[in-house]
Amino acid sequence: MAERVLKGQGWPGPLALVVTSAGPYALGITVAFAAVGIFMAAMGFDVPRAYSTIVFTSFRSVNGFIQTLLKFIPLVLLALAFTVPLAAWKFNIGGEGQLIAGAIGAAAVGILLADLPAIVLLLALILAGILSGAFWAAVPAWLLYRFGINEILTTVLMNFVSFGAMDYVATEVWPDPAAGHPTTVPIAAAGRLPLLVASPPLHTGFIIALAVVVAVYLYLNRTTAGYELRAAGANARAALLHGIAVHRIALLSLVLGGALAGLAGSVEVAGVHHRLIEGVQSNYLLLSILIGLIAKGNTVAVPFVAFAIAALEVGARAMQRTMMIPAEIVFVVDGLILIFVLLSDVVRRR
Amino acid sequence: MLTLVPYVLASQGTMLAGRAGVFNVAQEGIMLVGASVGFLGVYLSGGGPLEGLLLAAVVGGLFGLALAYFTTTLKMDQFVIGLALFFIGLALSTLFYRLSIGITLTPPLISTLRDLPVAGLSRIPVLGPIFFRQNILVYGTVLLSLVLHLLLRYTGPGLALRAVGENPMAADALGVNVPHVRYLTTVAGAMLIGLAGAYLPMVYTGTFTEGMVRGRGWLSIALTFFGGWNPALIFLGALFFAGVEVLAFRVQVTGVGVPYQLVLMLPYLATMVVMMPTFRRLQVPAFLGKNYDRERRLLL
Repeated sequence: MAERVLKGQGWPGPLALVVTSAGPYALGITVAFAAVGIFMAAMGFDVPRAYSTIVFTSFRSVNGFIQTLLKFIPLVLLALAFTVPLAAWKFNIGGEGQLIAGAIGAAAVGILLADLPAIVLLLALILAGILSGAFWAAVPAWLLYRFGINEILTTVLMNFVSFGAMDYVATEVWPDPAAGHPTTVPIAAAGRLPLLVASPPLHTGFIIALAVVVAVYLYLNRTTAGYELRAAGANARAALLHGIAVHRIALLSLVLGGALAGLAGSVEVAGVHHRLIEGVQSNYLLLSILIGLIAKGNTVAVPFVAFAIAALEVGARAMQRTMMIPAEIVFVVDGLILIFVLLSDVVRRR
Repeated sequence: MLTLVPYVLASQGTMLAGRAGVFNVAQEGIMLVGASVGFLGVYLSGGGPLEGLLLAAVVGGLFGLALAYFTTTLKMDQFVIGLALFFIGLALSTLFYRLSIGITLTPPLISTLRDLPVAGLSRIPVLGPIFFRQNILVYGTVLLSLVLHLLLRYTGPGLALRAVGENPMAADALGVNVPHVRYLTTVAGAMLIGLAGAYLPMVYTGTFTEGMVRGRGWLSIALTFFGGWNPALIFLGALFFAGVEVLAFRVQVTGVGVPYQLVLMLPYLATMVVMMPTFRRLQVPAFLGKNYDRERRLLL
């Protein structure tokens, strides 16, 4: 595109723009599906039926669609928790731990302060989640700032620590003796997120998630602070020479990521489970990093990719239930899509 | 002693590639595939552990090849490719298992590796069984760490390897084939990581469970740093870590008043604490994570 402008041929038309930006994705998706499809056919699976289940389950029924949206919410928040630090070229692999920390904080508020009126409790709960997640990321961020320790290591280590903390809270502090699985007692009813749709339940977390996406976009692309963050990520040395506090920004970006993940945790507690269930983090971390990478860190692309991945997840589980094909096949598709998208970058650069 | 083998193997593998400047972050995925194919190799062939180990090493090597190709030849970002490979490894590990075994009620088992006592020495009280009655992978790991240390420090190729990681421009100018070295070390390192993964079903549980690597792959990155990218120190660091982990189990069993979750967290917290004063002093290879492009004039 730049070459066209430089040569005086003007900006490419809107069609060309759409094709060049969506093209690699479409191609990547097609090739990934094709590759796995061949593999599946060789194993004797009914490929067309499998694929139609994976892709369309989300759209065939209201339930499927709502399930997809319910998965979408934490995925998009976690993906942003990965991409915001990524814009500062920091790798936050700790989204899982930060989500758990947020869930713990939210559950704590929901259980301890149960007497507060509805809106207040809900807000306090969410705030607690955000702060807990931010704190969880602040530890690795500070270790990076003060000691230069690589954030990949520390965020991952904190994930492990969070598992222990979650187990402790669910089994020792507020355990629910009736449940067969480490879980806390439910939070006060006042702490639940109001529902958008009654049945199947879709909670307001969806609105929150969308609002956050917009907020993140505005922050990164329309504010000075966001600009500095992106500059620090793009070329730390140049940014430093221009007076941008690169190291402090790196710290801030990680804390922001943690806050986003913590929000995801509190939304899951307040909207879906209404308690702290061990395993609330599910496989979201993997998927969220994948989403962030496929979207190439672009805030606008993230919700779309997150939705697509959520749909594929729901579809894959359905496929596993009905056709006994392992749902993990969809992971392979996801991974291949990522590789092809990355490859298209390489091809374009040449 | 048993627990530290996967850590050491994976960390040495990471170190090997890292000393040449390739930062492998796909360990978790490679270990998972290694565990999966290693287990399947033994289970399906009905033979001894050798098939499984070999298969795990080969598959690991393939991942390493992919990593090397995408980063050294195509010059794509190492972290991102590493993460992508991690994901694919994760997916494939479960996939292979499910396709071969399907969903069963009871987990299929393979026999675990036998212990090979070293005659005479294993009879020394206390220390004897710990050091000299282990399975072959444990012996192999200790030997490997020693060999790596000696190779890296005292031989010509070892020097070339280190040079590639510290200053590939200089190494290139002296005639070292930088891409070659990177490819070789990445593949070899990934093979070690695959073996580390295979160790888990073969020695611990005798079966494969999804996610059985439990984050050890990520930990091995930490341990590599912890050991200052030095094979001997890595071994000691892994010993420390495994020691704390075993301590955690002991506490859990004997029921000292401390909640066991706290002790579970201990290895990770301890590692972070230890890294605080030491991280900056580590001799991290200067070009770790950076790709070398001969045609680039600018030095970043």
